[in-house]
Amino acid sequence: MISSSNTLTKIFKFLAYFFIIMFFLFPILWIFMMSFMTNDEILRKVPTIIFSPTFENYIALLKGKINTPAGVMDVFYMQNILNSFILSSCSVLLTLILGIPAAYAFARYKFKGGEDIAFTILSFKFAPALLIIIPLNLYFTKLGLYDSYFALVWVYQLITLPLLLWIVRGYFEDVSEDIEHAYRLDGHSWFKSFWKISIPLARPGIAASSLICFIFAWNNFVFALILGSSSIQPVTVGALSFITASAIPYGLIAAGIVLSVIPTLTLALIIQKYLVEGLSLGAVKG
Amino acid sequence: MKINKKLFPYVLTLPALLVCVGILIPFFTAVYYSLQRYNLKMPHMKGFIWFDNYVRIFTDASFWNTIQVSLTYTFFTVILELLLGLGIALLLAKRTWYNNILGVLLILPLMIAPAVASLMWKLMVNPNFGVVNYFLSLIGIYDFKWASDPSTVMFTLVMVDMWVFTPFIMILLLAGLRALPKQPFEAAELDGVPGYYKFFRITLPMLFPYILTASLFRMLESIQQFDIIYALSQGGPGESSMVFQVSAYLTTFQYTNIGKAAAMMVVLWAIAYFLCHVFVKQWHKLREKTKGIA
Amino acid sequence: MSYLEIKNINKRFKDDIVFDDVSLSVNKGEFFVVFGPSGSGKTVLLRLLSGIMSQDSGQIFMDGVCIDDLDPNERDISMAFQNFALYPHMDAFENIASPLIAQKISPDEIKKRVQEVAELLKIDHVLSHKPKELSNGQKQRTSLARSLVVRPSVVLLDDPLRNVDAKIRYEMRLELPKVLKEFNTTVIYVTQDYKEAMALGERVGVLANSNFTDVDHPTHVYKKPNNITSAKLFGDPTINVLNASNISSGDLSTITASKITIESNNPNLKNQRDLFLGIRPEDIQISNQVHEGAIKVELRAKTPLNLRTVYLLRFEDGVEVLASASEEESLLIDDQKDFYIRFDNSNLNFFDQSESLIQ
Repeated sequence: MISSSNTLTKIFKFLAYFFIIMFFLFPILWIFMMSFMTNDEILRKVPTIIFSPTFENYIALLKGKINTPAGVMDVFYMQNILNSFILSSCSVLLTLILGIPAAYAFARYKFKGGEDIAFTILSFKFAPALLIIIPLNLYFTKLGLYDSYFALVWVYQLITLPLLLWIVRGYFEDVSEDIEHAYRLDGHSWFKSFWKISIPLARPGIAASSLICFIFAWNNFVFALILGSSSIQPVTVGALSFITASAIPYGLIAAGIVLSVIPTLTLALIIQKYLVEGLSLGAVKG
Repeated sequence: MKINKKLFPYVLTLPALLVCVGILIPFFTAVYYSLQRYNLKMPHMKGFIWFDNYVRIFTDASFWNTIQVSLTYTFFTVILELLLGLGIALLLAKRTWYNNILGVLLILPLMIAPAVASLMWKLMVNPNFGVVNYFLSLIGIYDFKWASDPSTVMFTLVMVDMWVFTPFIMILLLAGLRALPKQPFEAAELDGVPGYYKFFRITLPMLFPYILTASLFRMLESIQQFDIIYALSQGGPGESSMVFQVSAYLTTFQYTNIGKAAAMMVVLWAIAYFLCHVFVKQWHKLREKTKGIA
Repeated sequence: MSYLEIKNINKRFKDDIVFDDVSLSVNKGEFFVVFGPSGSGKTVLLRLLSGIMSQDSGQIFMDGVCIDDLDPNERDISMAFQNFALYPHMDAFENIASPLIAQKISPDEIKKRVQEVAELLKIDHVLSHKPKELSNGQKQRTSLARSLVVRPSVVLLDDPLRNVDAKIRYEMRLELPKVLKEFNTTVIYVTQDYKEAMALGERVGVLANSNFTDVDHPTHVYKKPNNITSAKLFGDPTINVLNASNISSGDLSTITASKITIESNNPNLKNQRDLFLGIRPEDIQISNQVHEGAIKVELRAKTPLNLRTVYLLRFEDGVEVLASASEEESLLIDDQKDFYIRFDNSNLNFFDQSESLIQ
């Protein structure tokens, strides 16, 4: 698109690459490095790339105890990570159960109100979260749901369900209807055809969208902040409480951040092709 | 059996539909609350005051501040992310090995929870040991206040937002660029059309649907942004970064004024809905237009 | 005895009427061909019969029982799809075994029967292959095997030879009827190729203009098509249709079409003043000699078609017709000399203003 015939353009391009890499990628690298530094090394005036790494931050998080100047502190960060796993996995599971039949229905049938229902579910993505959460918070406190994973998992559907429907619907549309018909004519019931033909043939899309949903559920902050008690809070909220707590070694915070992003970053690298496909195609089809 | 056939799709979507309904209940509750004087600290004063809450917030200077801050934030994030995202997409358009790798790596910031990203940047701009401050000192900028000063907090917030969300725009526009048909460009080459003309009169118009979609998504998200701002500045210092949802949060949990918070959220919802409509209409119009070009 | 019967079927998609009060009876064990151009509704008919689609009104009966309320998996009907519709994630064996599994037949029995059918259709050596490893011909045979293995009462074949290479197509055209005879099932075979219809069918139903225009033995449809549409669908090159006018006195009708004059005693022609004359290119004899009753024509163009030669001829008044001659015949014709044509009146067909055949 931009022809690079002269040296000026080449310099410009080089600077552009440099800026992009520094701005977007360096911070991730730096936080990783920080997580292996002791507090003294971090507080050094001139940051260096060469240092002797230490695992003390990670060990402290895993053990749940930190040695601070004020004494030994208990840290429940690992519980946060566990909560994130539980909340994200359960949300995705529930979304699969609710969403896959619905995605199939939207793909195959043109039924009255169908497009309206689809649009309503997709519109959840764009509604202000607090509009829903504030009343929910009041309901939850009244019903004593404040401490349950169960209730929070249902609220997470606001995020995961539209996403799954968006992506999986397209994959079902790509499965040839005649194959399903042939299976029915063989003598199998509709459910068997759905289970043995439609779902297996849409499997790549279903797998990819589950992982995408997992990532977005994991990264959610506001739902857990408002609707969850401290015992079920995921890592996004947990990490933030580090900053407010005093005398926590900065390296520890960095290590906490690293632990909280490793799952999503790894998943993203694994499914990056589907990620791009899912986000862009779904967006343009609108 | 025959009746089953017509009802069947509804059966399939029923569970998802229930979730739908489940969401609508709190939605209508919120609207209901917005019409009431409802403060948790003064439960005995609860009662219908109809549109009083709305009148009050629209005559409240701090609400207008919230509107102004939110719109500023939205404006800058969307425009800057579009420009930067477009630039990166153009840079990475050619399928070289380094472009491909970079294309994958650049997705990573998007995969980090915005709240955690705020945290990361907070560490990096820490006045005592932040590595960014160190780099700035090398080019002669000392003592940049970042999120602790009203004049620089918006800059800081927009920067973090750009860090997280520009990749989203980049992904969309890169996919769009790669999907463009080759013929118009080949024809332009043959005609000896200069580079900038090619860009502005061919590339850009053909990318419009993608640009529109990307800006709509980002606009809706930015005007409702909570995570980044809450994590970084909580709306401060003072009220200099008080965007809609942060304001609603504080109104609810610090001032326990549910009625007012609900009213604010209904207003925000209406704005988002309106934006959606305008943009989708534009999108459809543009679709018709580009069908002629492409 | 009528085994498969459709009565007064109506089906439309928005403004497109596919079937307008269509009825048909197919006998048990019959090989019935449904022939029609693309878009005429042949595939829709099969979908209605198999239960995949429902008609707007009308009923379908099988062996006297109305099957409208039965789901596709409850009807004793099998179908081989045009694009094969094989399950890509299963191998050929599992594809063929699928209907047997649905009937909960024992694995040993399944193995035996799949092997049987595969041998019959000569695909027993590729049973462990996945569909993407099979050639089109093998895919089609697997699809057929799957539809026959359960010995259904009715099997629907949707243009099965369309997506198969030409060479294999001719082989299978000979094989298919033999194979199907082994299974003694009622066959509905859909095709767009009239030659295929003529080669395979005991009876053929011509589907055009939202209904069956002809339902008869293929040769009869060829000789006496019920309307101009079906006349045009059968035959390469297409039948010549000329505007004609008729003067009747008593029982004698004199029909004039261009330079052709015909006299007929057919009482049905009496009251028709303007009509159409149809004559097939194959039925026109070309000669350089002036024989009794020959009409002078001018050669405009000549082109080979399959093994015949097609001549574009023009009457003295400008009306053009196509005539075709066999290889031997065309060798005897000298293009430089004068051209004369003759034909047998019994090969003529007359159609009235509504394009229907005048018997």
